[in-house]
Amino acid sequence: MFPALRLGVRAPVAVRRAVAAQRLAVMQRRTLASPAQEEHKPTKQSDVAMNIDPYKGGPSAIDKAVHMFFFTEIVRGMWIVLENFFRPPYTIMYPFEKGPLSPRFRGEHALRRYPNGEERCIACKLCEAICPAQAITIESEARADGSRRTTKYDIDMTKCIYCGFCQEACPVDAIVESQNQEFSTETREELLYNKEKLLANGDRMEPELAANLYSDHVYR
Amino acid sequence: MVSLLRTLRSIRRVGLKEWYRQMWYIGDAKSGRLVGTDSFGNRYYENLNAEEEVPGRHRWVDLAQHDYNATQVPPEWHSWLHNIRLLAPPEDPKMLEARPKWIGTHIENLTGTRGAYRPYNTAAPKMWAWEPKVAPRQSSSQTQ
Repeated sequence: MFPALRLGVRAPVAVRRAVAAQRLAVMQRRTLASPAQEEHKPTKQSDVAMNIDPYKGGPSAIDKAVHMFFFTEIVRGMWIVLENFFRPPYTIMYPFEKGPLSPRFRGEHALRRYPNGEERCIACKLCEAICPAQAITIESEARADGSRRTTKYDIDMTKCIYCGFCQEACPVDAIVESQNQEFSTETREELLYNKEKLLANGDRMEPELAANLYSDHVYR
Repeated sequence: MVSLLRTLRSIRRVGLKEWYRQMWYIGDAKSGRLVGTDSFGNRYYENLNAEEEVPGRHRWVDLAQHDYNATQVPPEWHSWLHNIRLLAPPEDPKMLEARPKWIGTHIENLTGTRGAYRPYNTAAPKMWAWEPKVAPRQSSSQTQ
């Protein structure tokens, strides 16, 4: 078990020499950082040179010394900075230029009207039922002409998660999410939208909303 | 700092005065085709030449007000500026067709001013405070 206890049992000299020669060959290969590969008999002089000199074909020691002492890497880096200094910037200058948006973008809500000016919402409350954040509150009443309309259509924009389920649930395309994302406010209460505010949004944005609905109508 | 050639070319096209205005507002010398002007006097430009304007910065607005604000752009032009619509609103047949006569005037986001929206209840109240009414006291001659 212990090699020291087996002093009497030593390998023959020839075997020990062969093992030592093999180890030396492996050490030489590793020291020269050449890949460990199958032993093969070198056929040409160039093959021998390849195995011996791993830096063959690379920069010479003088080249490397020159690059090191003259800081050429730093100069090259600074040149790239200088080049980009004179290139047109990719930065989008926000209030004047804006990034692209999808016609399906879900932003501020709006209540739409029919072309004759009649409000679309029929108070079916599907949006209120499907709203996962329960942000919509609807109360309805029969109007003098017998049609059912909402008396209250409140959306708490601080609760809303902008999932778009309300506009998908709506059977008459009354509640839609417009592409307006710039409705930030200074106070919290300004985000508690009521029916008048939503209808006013719809009145302002009708051409944009109608064009968006038209551009997506084949997929709906 | 921008491309020197591009800056010089834009200055030559728009003139020194316009360039001065651009440097105050957009902060970059830009030149392109004037696509249209909205009712508030904001001017909309487009330059589709990728050599001159980086794609993504090819549509821009020159806002009329000094106290500029992204919401001063009306919805139709907002749609064009965000690359939602290909054509500008005056040329877009769908946009013209969907323009009803009851369309509301665009108002910018007035938060923080006196014109800011204040929520209120649109439904009639369902509860009223109790108004105590005292029954008229009968005259003393009748009670006796």
